[in-house]
Amino acid sequence: MSYFVQVVVDGLSNGAIYAALALAIVLVHRATGLVNFAQGGMAVAATFVAFALTRAGVPVLLALLAAVVFGFVLGALLERGVMRHFERGDPDTAVVATIALLVLLTGASAFFFGYEPQPFPSLFPNRTFEVLGVFVSFRSIGTILVLIAVMVGLQLLFRSTKLGLAMRAVADNPESSALSALPVSRLLMIGWGLAAGLGAVAGVLVAPQLFISPGMLDFVLVYALAAAILGGLDSPVGAVVAAAFIGVAENLAGAYLDVVGDDLKIAVPFVAVMVILVVRPQGLFGRKTTVRV
Amino acid sequence: MATATRPAPAATTTPPRSVVTRAAAAVAGLAVAVVLVVAPLVSSPYINFQLASIMVFAVALLGLNVIMGYTGQVSLGQSAFLGLGAYITAYGVLNDWPIALSLLLSAVVPAAVGMLVALAAARLRGLALAMITLALPIIGVPLARRFDGFTGGSQGQVVSWLRAPESLGLANDQWRYYVVAVIALVAFLLVRNLVRGRIGRSFAIVKENEAVALSMGVSPYRTKVLAFTIASALGGLSGFMYLAVVQYTSPETLVFATSINLVAAMVIGGSASIVGTALGALYYVLVPVLAGQVNSSRTALISGAVLLAVLFVLPAGLVSLPRRLARRRSARRGTRTAPHDTADDAATPTSTDGSAPAVPAPAATTTDQHP
Repeated sequence: MSYFVQVVVDGLSNGAIYAALALAIVLVHRATGLVNFAQGGMAVAATFVAFALTRAGVPVLLALLAAVVFGFVLGALLERGVMRHFERGDPDTAVVATIALLVLLTGASAFFFGYEPQPFPSLFPNRTFEVLGVFVSFRSIGTILVLIAVMVGLQLLFRSTKLGLAMRAVADNPESSALSALPVSRLLMIGWGLAAGLGAVAGVLVAPQLFISPGMLDFVLVYALAAAILGGLDSPVGAVVAAAFIGVAENLAGAYLDVVGDDLKIAVPFVAVMVILVVRPQGLFGRKTTVRV
Repeated sequence: MATATRPAPAATTTPPRSVVTRAAAAVAGLAVAVVLVVAPLVSSPYINFQLASIMVFAVALLGLNVIMGYTGQVSLGQSAFLGLGAYITAYGVLNDWPIALSLLLSAVVPAAVGMLVALAAARLRGLALAMITLALPIIGVPLARRFDGFTGGSQGQVVSWLRAPESLGLANDQWRYYVVAVIALVAFLLVRNLVRGRIGRSFAIVKENEAVALSMGVSPYRTKVLAFTIASALGGLSGFMYLAVVQYTSPETLVFATSINLVAAMVIGGSASIVGTALGALYYVLVPVLAGQVNSSRTALISGAVLLAVLFVLPAGLVSLPRRLARRRSARRGTRTAPHDTADDAATPTSTDGSAPAVPAPAATTTDQHP
């Protein structure tokens, strides 16, 4: 039983990482209708900033905050400088532009820090503690708590601030928002910035586990994409629930099904996602949209 | 394609072209054909390897273009079919199957797998479909590692086959080049005819508007299943060619990154265009090689920068370059002397300056006319 709880908690902590990146994807998709492949690249770049700072002796928490700020600025600049050019064009071209950014940012990270994976200090003590006979690691609990804090923060931002209201308006209908004198382009910049900042959180949280390297988040990005799509792409809650489901399902299958084992465990959540999508095409929490001809 | 600016499906609105352009296209086509036939005889094995690789990925891109460019359904799983085709071929080589059987099965089995996936997934749209196709390489890689009896596990399969017949006096690399070139040629001709005919029109109308397709008696579901099946078959076929050229396959062959790069190459070349497909393959193979030669540790940086630069300048892909140049020229001439010449430009005034938003002219309408 205690092993089971441990496996579930570890799964939830992995899920929390996927969820952070999935939330970032949902943020950008809500605002621009794009799936942003560069999310992983931006997060890695920001994490490398934190890495450089910690190497210079800055405490991890401060480095995390600096990475979030850097991520915000980077995201906003890329939106303004690159993505705006593709906004009103063909969506396929815009998505490929985000792929180009991913390649470019990965290359830039490698340019400064090399391809070798390097150790990254953890935000949390590398110890476990016992609750009701179950050992759980500080890292898992800490990761989950940070994600919950981020989610509450985002929810407050979107629900109870003027900025959040304006961002929702822009996501809902850019033309009407512009007519209501909302600064649409600036709000899009902020949306990209927020998403990249969120990615920075995910990067710093996962780096101690994966070791930091330019390709560190490639796999996490795929999981996050799956979570975002499974959650219905427009629903932050859906993305988080789907991410938790993917993390737990993967861990449980790896731990308990001998046929699956460690190598095939990644297949389990993806097969599940395929089945769920075929049964429920709009995702778990997505709304059915009907298009008028 | 910027569907919003496109007046009608590609296949139905081919503007008449002048005799001069036609002749120029024919001459260019002939020149390319001669170069492609002669090149392997005078080039080093390394060059031949790169040329043959272009053929391989051209066929993979051709499949991707059928489902994504022509039919408008996102597919992030093309690498899985490439890998499946390569594995089937490797299995055939190791078990002494006749080559014709390997060739057949390398296309038929992926087609069957693709059809099964499409039967379940074709009623999905957009990103849900992207998710299903994305899962194929993600699941495929660990599967390939696991079933090492069939795949050779993480080590992969090294094969040695398709040696040049003694009587021809060709080196192995030359012979393999010609084999894949012939397969690529046949595949391109078949697809070219397909997309210009009735089925191609049904692809285009499904891409444009499924409700309209339905009202015309074209079933979007069946059309998508068909397009996906063809795409998978071509993916598998490119796997056969891949094994012919590389003589090795491993789980790396089907990684997700390959699918993503193929999508990028398709858009770079020009979606829904036969010539664009070839240009995309050229891009796919050559840019990493050239970037690596400029600076081997900066390959990703350079590739990303080139990709972004091309997208900025030619959002409709490399295939739109000639038309863009022509338009720019006529615009310049128009401002100086002949105002009656600029009627076409007046409609899209933004296209004359470099920072224009993506308003690509309909790439498919004229460019798929080349042989």
